Amino acid sequence: MGVASYIKDITDTVKSVFEGMSITFSHLVRRPMTIQYPDKIPVPIQETLPLRYRGILEVDLDICTGCLACERVCPITCITIGIDMNKETKQRDFSHFDIDICKCMYCGLCSEVCPTGSIRHSQEFEGASYNPAGLVRHFAPQPASLYKPKKGGETDPKLAVKVDIGQKYLDEFATPDGGAAAEEK
Amino acid sequence: MNETAQDQDTGFHTEDMTISVGPQHPSTHGVLRFVVKTDGEVISEAIPDVGYLHRSIEKIGEKVTWHGYVPYTDRADYLAAMFANQVFCMAAEKLAGTPVTRRGEFCRVIACELNRLASHLISVGTFGQDIGAMTPFVHALRERETINNLMEEICGARLTYNYIRIGGVGYDILPETCTRISEFLDHFEPIVDEFNRLLTGNKIFIERLAGIAVVSKEDALQYNLVGPNLRGAGIKWDIRRDIPYSVYPELEFEIPVGTGHIGALGDSFDRYWVRIRELQESCKIVRQCLKMLPKGPAISKVARKFKPAAGECYVRVEAPRGDMGFYVISDGSEYPYRVRIRTGSYTAMSIIDKLSKGIMLADLIVLIGSLDVDAPEIDR
Amino acid sequence: MQAYLDQLIQGGAFAGMPREVVYAIGMLLAAFIVLSAFVAPLAGVTSWLERRVWARMQSRVGPNRVGPQGILQWLADGIKNLLKEDIIPTAADKKLFSLAPYIVFMGFLCAFVVIPFGGHLIVADLNIGILYILAVTSLVVVGILMAGWASNNKWSLLGGMRSAAQIISYEIPAGVSVLMIVFLAGTLSMQGIIKGQGWAPWDWYLFHNPFTFAGFFLYFTAALAEGNRTPFDIPEAESELVAGYVTEYSGMRFLFFFFAEWGNLYVIGAVATTLFLGGWQVPPLAIFENSPMLLAVAQFVTFFLKAYLWVFVAMWIRATLPRVRVDQLMSLCWKYMVPLSFICLLGTVAFMFVPADGQRITSAAMFGLGVAITIIFFLRVGFQIRQAKPELYFKPHI
Repeated sequence: MGVASYIKDITDTVKSVFEGMSITFSHLVRRPMTIQYPDKIPVPIQETLPLRYRGILEVDLDICTGCLACERVCPITCITIGIDMNKETKQRDFSHFDIDICKCMYCGLCSEVCPTGSIRHSQEFEGASYNPAGLVRHFAPQPASLYKPKKGGETDPKLAVKVDIGQKYLDEFATPDGGAAAEEK
Repeated sequence: MNETAQDQDTGFHTEDMTISVGPQHPSTHGVLRFVVKTDGEVISEAIPDVGYLHRSIEKIGEKVTWHGYVPYTDRADYLAAMFANQVFCMAAEKLAGTPVTRRGEFCRVIACELNRLASHLISVGTFGQDIGAMTPFVHALRERETINNLMEEICGARLTYNYIRIGGVGYDILPETCTRISEFLDHFEPIVDEFNRLLTGNKIFIERLAGIAVVSKEDALQYNLVGPNLRGAGIKWDIRRDIPYSVYPELEFEIPVGTGHIGALGDSFDRYWVRIRELQESCKIVRQCLKMLPKGPAISKVARKFKPAAGECYVRVEAPRGDMGFYVISDGSEYPYRVRIRTGSYTAMSIIDKLSKGIMLADLIVLIGSLDVDAPEIDR
Repeated sequence: MQAYLDQLIQGGAFAGMPREVVYAIGMLLAAFIVLSAFVAPLAGVTSWLERRVWARMQSRVGPNRVGPQGILQWLADGIKNLLKEDIIPTAADKKLFSLAPYIVFMGFLCAFVVIPFGGHLIVADLNIGILYILAVTSLVVVGILMAGWASNNKWSLLGGMRSAAQIISYEIPAGVSVLMIVFLAGTLSMQGIIKGQGWAPWDWYLFHNPFTFAGFFLYFTAALAEGNRTPFDIPEAESELVAGYVTEYSGMRFLFFFFAEWGNLYVIGAVATTLFLGGWQVPPLAIFENSPMLLAVAQFVTFFLKAYLWVFVAMWIRATLPRVRVDQLMSLCWKYMVPLSFICLLGTVAFMFVPADGQRITSAAMFGLGVAITIIFFLRVGFQIRQAKPELYFKPHI
């Protein structure tokens, strides 16, 4: 070890420490990155999430056609749908429509195959529960009838709103035509 | 120093100490375990013990549909999920002959390179933390957080994307997202320089890395190291250039290799330095893609019941931890017949035993960090 | 202290009590006051401040929920640790394991006996003050080694061994750097060393000559190593040794080690201030002559701020630097710091023969150098901010 390299070691150390300390010091006047979830934030965090955010699944049963596409496509079988024949009305009813949030891996495949946009990812992610059973979402607590899409658009104003919401979700979230929609804008 | 001779001189009876590093240890990056035999602080043997994070991802592939397996590939290496998505989709496309739309290819490259940034940031950040520098770690994670936000905008998830689908990508990258990506890159490139001034140039950091755990070119090939570990040893091999896929041949980028300008060629510093320069190269690639992004659909028409023809293929991409390959056999049914995943970390694990002989316990941490082994990728 | 007690005894305050008992009670009382009113809150607040400073340097916020801006976080942590189960591993040497934290604690607490708080505020102005500090702070190594050995854990053992090697080695550069000032001041007494300096920076021993200037940094580095602080925190290197010698400790015993670490920071700062930075010396203003109380307060504040500046620097270094390896630590000590400190010592001795005029010029020049380094530093900080173009935020709280 020569004298030159000995001195170089010392000066290198001093210089690099000096440089590093100037960087850390400069961070004292930079804005911290932290988001102080959940209380010290200007707007609820759900509102700041992007449109495509894949949160907890929600189902609008009023516009669900009972096509079972979501149940079939789910790679993890977290969606279970039961459809029975109602003896009084002679129509098919949902006996249950359960989504096990414990199992769900938020891949988004179910919401993409849905023809009406009835099953969709919400911006919600706070799903804590005291037991696993509490994480199973029951969307058909009572038997409910299936939705039948009408030719020429929905006439019932209440349902029409819901159909529009579902369609809008499909257009914005799962855009199979990709660039075309963006191009038109 | 010859230990046995010293024993004879002093007459002391000494024996090796066996230490279990992991599976819960702060710097094993997940759940790795090493059975380390040391003489004081000097390691005589470090045997890797893998399998703590095994999730049977390959077997699951035989039980779910081709479309449904894509989200599972996310979990193969959760720090770089996009690459596993891509390589599986490429394998399925190759078997079925599905074309990929041009916009889809560019979206894939943008997403993959952003993911490479995120993965390398984790790698260099935790490397700094392993050596005791906490601040660079948090700075790296801060930048990665912005990338995660961008990913959330692109595909709705922060870590397990399920973005790349058979035939293209799931969701198109919107123009406003493109603007935000280029804004991020403008902000990010000076931050890499700052990171270098803070950590890479630090004399203590250099002293800790230079000349530690030198991988020779022969060893790198013999042990089948891939990715930055191979390039750190001075071998210019990058799947993106040598077995081109996607739109990489159209893009201009350099392949950084280790130079040994500090310490020896193929030491820990070279591997680290290759990663830092890949950060800059990835920025360049994303910028080019944003400029070249063509109009058109992001995904081609693919049947819901995807049934590729019977056959088998092996497809590989350049993931952040090197060559990631999927060997997929199809029997023409709705499910893959067999999926086999080849990852870079597994082979990187195998060289640790050889490299760790005679280094100190603190250097073992440097070695693990510099090879960037990632527990989920090892066990799958 | 003793003089004050003598006064009280003569005034008949403790009629019928033997003098020794009065002294003992007085000493215990002083120790209690120092411990509960100064050291405990100081170590606690230092731990909180370190986390806040560290957080801001890392673009985070840090603890800000307990009390205003989290200033009571240390109390919450302390209570939490008190309530935790005190686990002694079955295979551990129970007696040594239980004793170790107190020895470490004592090692740093005893230093407060001779640390001055102001011109007259000192528990005991021993005539061997600085020697005493070097001696009692070495007690820490016994405690750490004891903790490492008694835990019967390999990580702890490695940590303890590393610590022993480290602290004993770094005693030498620290001691030699101290010796420099002892030569200049001609006394070992803490108050005597402070009285040898003036209130003005150019009268401080730091700027006395180039060798003391270098010696200050040598002392500070060695003191950081003795205090197990980054970049020399290898005994508890969390990424290598899990938690080093504290791996098996929990609850209150665990807390004692960290109490000692943060308290020790202040000791480092206070000794540096005493030796190099003019201690509690304040400008001789007219208002101080009339009011001794005001003078005491001013002296206390001056000393405290100077000492705390170095506590801040230690936090700041911890946020910046990576950790050295154990053999590099040794080579840094024996190859670099020990020779350099001896050179500085010889240089200082040689400098004592320079005539007074020459010494004054050197002091002024060294002071100019110090100012220049500070200015260059802040220019560099400005450069860093211009490079990264961050969003600026000047408030200390968020």
